Amino acid sequence: MFGYLITRFAQAIVVVFAMSVIVFVGVYAIGNPIDVMIDPGATQEIRERLIIQYGFDQPLWRQYFTFVSNVAAGDLGTSMVYNIPVTNLVFSRLPATLELVLVSITIAAVIGIPAGIWAGYRPDSLGAKAIMALSVLGFSVPTFWIGMLLIMGFAVNLGWLPSGGRGQVSSFLGINTSLATSSGWSHIILPALNLSLFKMGLMIRLTRAGMVEAMQTDYVKFARAQGLPDRQIVFSHILRNISIPIVTVFGLELGSTLAFAVVTESVFNWPGVGKLIIDSILTLDRPVMVSYLIMVVILFVMINLAVDLIYARLDPRVRLKGGA
Amino acid sequence: MSTKTLKSAVATMALLAFAPSAMAQELTLGLRAGPDSIDPHWSTLGSQAEALRHVFDTLVDVDDNLQLQPGLAVSWEAVEDTVWEFKLREGVKFHDGTDFTAEDAKFSIDRIPEVTGPMPMTLYTKYVESVEVVDDYTLRVHTKGIAPALPNDFTRMFVVPSETGMEAGNEEFNSGEKAIGTGPYRFVSWEPKGDMVLDRNDDYWGGAPAWERVVRKEIPDDAARVAALRSGQVDMINYVPASDYAAIQNNADLETFIADSVYILNIAPSVKDEEPQPIRVNGVEVEGNPLQDLRVRKALDLAINRDVLVNIVLEGLATPATQLMPSGFFGYSEELGERPYDIEQAKELLVEAGYPDGFEIDFTCTNNRVPGDAVVCEALGQMWSRLGLTVNAQALNGTVFFPAAAREEYTMTMSAWGTLTGEAAYTYGALVHTKDAEKGFGNFNRTGYSNPEFDRVFGEGTQTLDEDARRALYEEASVIAMEDRALIPTVILQSVWASKAGMLEFTPRTDQETRAYAITPVE
Repeated sequence: MFGYLITRFAQAIVVVFAMSVIVFVGVYAIGNPIDVMIDPGATQEIRERLIIQYGFDQPLWRQYFTFVSNVAAGDLGTSMVYNIPVTNLVFSRLPATLELVLVSITIAAVIGIPAGIWAGYRPDSLGAKAIMALSVLGFSVPTFWIGMLLIMGFAVNLGWLPSGGRGQVSSFLGINTSLATSSGWSHIILPALNLSLFKMGLMIRLTRAGMVEAMQTDYVKFARAQGLPDRQIVFSHILRNISIPIVTVFGLELGSTLAFAVVTESVFNWPGVGKLIIDSILTLDRPVMVSYLIMVVILFVMINLAVDLIYARLDPRVRLKGGA
Repeated sequence: MSTKTLKSAVATMALLAFAPSAMAQELTLGLRAGPDSIDPHWSTLGSQAEALRHVFDTLVDVDDNLQLQPGLAVSWEAVEDTVWEFKLREGVKFHDGTDFTAEDAKFSIDRIPEVTGPMPMTLYTKYVESVEVVDDYTLRVHTKGIAPALPNDFTRMFVVPSETGMEAGNEEFNSGEKAIGTGPYRFVSWEPKGDMVLDRNDDYWGGAPAWERVVRKEIPDDAARVAALRSGQVDMINYVPASDYAAIQNNADLETFIADSVYILNIAPSVKDEEPQPIRVNGVEVEGNPLQDLRVRKALDLAINRDVLVNIVLEGLATPATQLMPSGFFGYSEELGERPYDIEQAKELLVEAGYPDGFEIDFTCTNNRVPGDAVVCEALGQMWSRLGLTVNAQALNGTVFFPAAAREEYTMTMSAWGTLTGEAAYTYGALVHTKDAEKGFGNFNRTGYSNPEFDRVFGEGTQTLDEDARRALYEEASVIAMEDRALIPTVILQSVWASKAGMLEFTPRTDQETRAYAITPVE
């Protein structure tokens, strides 16, 4: 177990390192941020002074080296646009994204998994067919369009919920979250629902496929022959067996939603990290782009690790060995 | 939880969710962009100046059409060739109660080079040699050479108290500790990309503004901004997208405000000896650069149907441009009339120039800098194909376009340019004058255009302190630049605001700023 963790950790470092090189070279290839930011009235002299001040006159390898040594010293850099350390900037917006993602993942799991189980348990019933049709809609209709529909319906026409933004934030158990206030909940419902639809569709289809397959297996037949009630078969035997793919996809989706909930965040004007990264790309705010992408890599590596550890809990046949 | 508490919880929730955002005295604005920092000396970004104007005053102010008017300075004149004297307003107090004096103005000018960021405000102090405090209400600025445009540069010269101290930075301003100005509103709170909250300054020297509290919400997404207005979350929005304009106009609950902006979409043809991207006739690269021939540039100009661009392509949200600046700006020439559309004459000019079969040319534009840049780009490509050219029109993201344009990699481009200072020196000095690092001119001249006659007339203007004489020289420069088609202006973009109907009065501004203190409630 310990050896396994060490190996995973080493792998993670290699991945982060490779990623930082790719990101850095890519960002470098786009061009000089000063040319995007500078006011047209600036003189050549002002422009050149800035380029030197920010080190953009240095060769690529030296800029990269400076960056890596700063990171090693714990400094991810300062945003060129906001003049705020990147870590502060990201962490000031991370809670908003976290709560949005948590609520949406919860909606997706709480509705998606039971619906999938039902659809797999009685695949020929009318309800199952309706669920499957809805799941197709869930992941084939573009998010921003559904988002606009939700806003038009619930905010503009009915006036039940606000059209965007984050609600009042208050402290709950020492954490600042908008989930502790009613205004917070009224703001989060629409974006979270919007964000959950795709994942819900995915959960339904995965669970159903697993169910249908598991229902044909010998252990289910034996359990039935033993006279176990269906409820017990489904929840204590089948569910455990089909949960590995669900957990895998769940983990991946969690990561990608955290990092790139951009579309929903824009449509609902949610002050999360997704919007931050898009804005930094548009202004070529290099420190934010590079550092954020590296944080995302670390996040994915951690989620994958957690998923692997959960595998081992779920399936005793999975052994965590040093080389795995 | 008893039914009673449950009921009251639901009631609170409903209240919070449906509470009208404007309680008579509160104004909530939904804006496309906000500040990057509360430090008024950090960046030249337009949305930064717009937001911070509420908290800090500038030495010189500008009216709706960007012409100069008194701010914290009540008058200014050039007492010598290289000395400007500013008389300052008396009896003005900062939000913390201290008096505003010339020391504060001097400190603010001196502070800029120390703290400014990658969008440097040093461009407003580039002529400043030194600042001298004559008495409490008289300031003398010694300039590097003759600097007639200094008062224009000072329209973004925000004044902070001299007690701020040079070491105070971004953090102290963002937290509000140092966000102390003389402006119509007091700073309450702000976070990057979030809401900026302001409270009325009852002691404002220009008279207290109408709204007690102003919330400037940043909503960059066009559709989300419109939805916020339609759902009543905000009272007013800026940058209404063309696609929603008609719908909002037809909605009885909403009203719109429209005005010309400073932004003009200009075509920049490279006139260098060798064009960066080859121009071809029947697949064969042409010897020399066809765009160097004035007849070719004239043909390109004549083939543009500006009425179609305005009425069809931009759905009426633009006006035809006659030159590189909108009407009424300092240096705008009345002599230049509407630019004609004449495809037959354009074809003849191409034949005369030796391209009876046209040529194949790359044409690159931005696609996200201003509303409509991408569609105008495509439309121009089609207009020139009627002339017989093969145009490879490509609209790129500004992040890609600007660095490549700075490396002068494009043969012909189109992008928006705004004469943000309201006078010609800003535009002509950067775009049209020969590239000359020493004089600081031509930084954005990517076409290689160089006309000694233009440089002489314009250069003389920049050295003339007399206003009328300078205006005449700039107007002459406008005519030369247009005769030469140094750049080809297409349309002036318009900007649209929308608000709840019958709630407020607002005069739209050329510089697209949404100033809360210039918005008044309808009685």
